[in-house]
Amino acid sequence: MTSSFKSIEENLKAEAGKLLESGRVEIVLAYGRGYDENHPMPFVAKHPSDVANMVFNEYCIHNLARYLVRYPRGTKIAVAVKAADCRAVIQLIQEEKIKRDDVVFLGIPVYGMKNPKTGEIIDSKTTCGMYNPVLYDVLLGEEVHGQKIVSPYDVLADYEAMDKEARWAFWKKEFDRCIRCYACRKACPMCYCDPCFIDQSKPRWGDKSPQSHGNLMYHLTRFHHLAGRCIDCGECSRACPVDIPLYLFHKKVAKECEEMFGQAAGMSIDDKPALVNFRVDDSDKILE
Amino acid sequence: MSFEPKILGIACNWCTYTGADLAGTTRLEYPQNLRVVRVMCSSRINPSFIFRAFQLGADGVLVGGCHPGDCHYNTGNLYARRRLAVTRKILEFAGIEPGRFRVEWISASEGNKFAEVVTEFTRQIKNLGPQNKFKISQ
Repeated sequence: MTSSFKSIEENLKAEAGKLLESGRVEIVLAYGRGYDENHPMPFVAKHPSDVANMVFNEYCIHNLARYLVRYPRGTKIAVAVKAADCRAVIQLIQEEKIKRDDVVFLGIPVYGMKNPKTGEIIDSKTTCGMYNPVLYDVLLGEEVHGQKIVSPYDVLADYEAMDKEARWAFWKKEFDRCIRCYACRKACPMCYCDPCFIDQSKPRWGDKSPQSHGNLMYHLTRFHHLAGRCIDCGECSRACPVDIPLYLFHKKVAKECEEMFGQAAGMSIDDKPALVNFRVDDSDKILE
Repeated sequence: MSFEPKILGIACNWCTYTGADLAGTTRLEYPQNLRVVRVMCSSRINPSFIFRAFQLGADGVLVGGCHPGDCHYNTGNLYARRRLAVTRKILEFAGIEPGRFRVEWISASEGNKFAEVVTEFTRQIKNLGPQNKFKISQ
């Protein structure tokens, strides 16, 4: 049984109010009204009176973990997290961008989030397909059970079966449409480098104009930087104005990392990110 | 004229590069298609080097490092192994032939192995033909 969006909203307001009043946190990251019902926006509550402006409905898809790294270290923050967002926060803790003690997880177990662009329900096709937060301090609704469990990597089968020439043609077509707005980078909770490699001019890693070679360099390197860190929230593809299916590539890299290194990103605060770790007995077969 | 591939070799200073030196001093013959860049450790290799090499016209990239456990910095090549394995998967999923990128562990005493690997890799790239997918068209 899932809690309704309305009851989650009520719980969110109540918990956020309590946390702000008690002084446990300085900031609550949640969702607020946008220009219409279908487009809620990330919302920062700093005072108990702000809480009344919070909303939660099926279009609150943003990954609020994105905003955690914008505050100075040591800021006490409560953040409303859905399943994938929760993994993003855990991943940030693993990477020592934030401390566990500084964050309060307001876990939201939810099924039936909808993409405002298409109106489709967001499930394992474009995201990690989890509905319950991995870790939480406060749970704002009942846990979701009884949904069909589909591996988030099932959607890859068609692309893996493609001939490599066809796959190259597919990605070339997709990347050529990129207009280099960097919305994927802005939406991604794991993209916090300052400056981003593509903004560096010394060395200049890739062309910044929207041409195929620069686009390829930007996207492939970004996939690489997110290897073993991407928590598959699907925000990059939802943020993309030209609808490049970036989630496919991220899923593929995440899948390979999981197979090779035996760990998925953001599942436990005790893990180390796969690519800044090693095992002496890693097989050389992974290079073949 | 037959196709002569351009191959970028990125070799670790302590093992593969010294191994290449040994291959030279023992007068071993291997194809001239390899252009070697020396780095201090295989974990110095930013994966973007490899993407960039392909963009700038390399037909193949060969990375050489110390055998796992023999790294001059103890653990460098163990990080590199994981990182380059991911690079390989990314190249493969993007649709480039995975045979164009290769990682080999060659120690300072393995001049023979260096010559063999280069010979074999060059033959492999010749069979694959020119790499035009990533290459920036002029």
